[in-house]
Amino acid sequence: MDGFDLNSSEKADASELQRMIAIEQQKAQFQAQVHNFTDVCWDKCMEGSPSSKLDSRTETCLVSCVDRFIDTTLYITNRFTQMVQKGAH
Amino acid sequence: MAFDLSSASASGNAETSELQRMIAVEQQKAQFEAQVHTFTDVCWDKCMDKPSSKLDSRTATCLASCVERFIDTTLTITNRFTHMAQKGGMH
Repeated sequence: MDGFDLNSSEKADASELQRMIAIEQQKAQFQAQVHNFTDVCWDKCMEGSPSSKLDSRTETCLVSCVDRFIDTTLYITNRFTQMVQKGAH
Repeated sequence: MAFDLSSASASGNAETSELQRMIAVEQQKAQFEAQVHTFTDVCWDKCMDKPSSKLDSRTATCLASCVERFIDTTLTITNRFTHMAQKGGMH
């Protein structure tokens, strides 16, 4: 592949760039995950019309919601993995 | 830079097919993840009332049934729609 042979200082720049890209990707993934939890748990926990403050009942629900959503994802992942391994076509 | 795999040399063919194999594996993993994501979205709505301090067995049972019934539903609709399309000669 022409043009991809780097000298040592270019290699250092390239790996620094890769490191920075990896950090930005991680930040973007985190943000996306927060966005997803917010969508899901807003629907589950916010009852009726939003009020003048975030009461403790709603807050407790939100905390449980995130934990249970993760539990649910893991449970379904395991289940589906078993189904695929059993039924493998 | 274009990936022109058709012009790969003899010595590059092994690398090319290894690369294709690795791509296929990653695609399969991505498909699996997407499927889990779909199930989770659908079955969370159906099975989770108010999130509590743990995932109780009633909810877990509901989730397992949900995944299976969702697959059954997809198959039923697929078969039915295939039948309709074949009969009606859809354009």
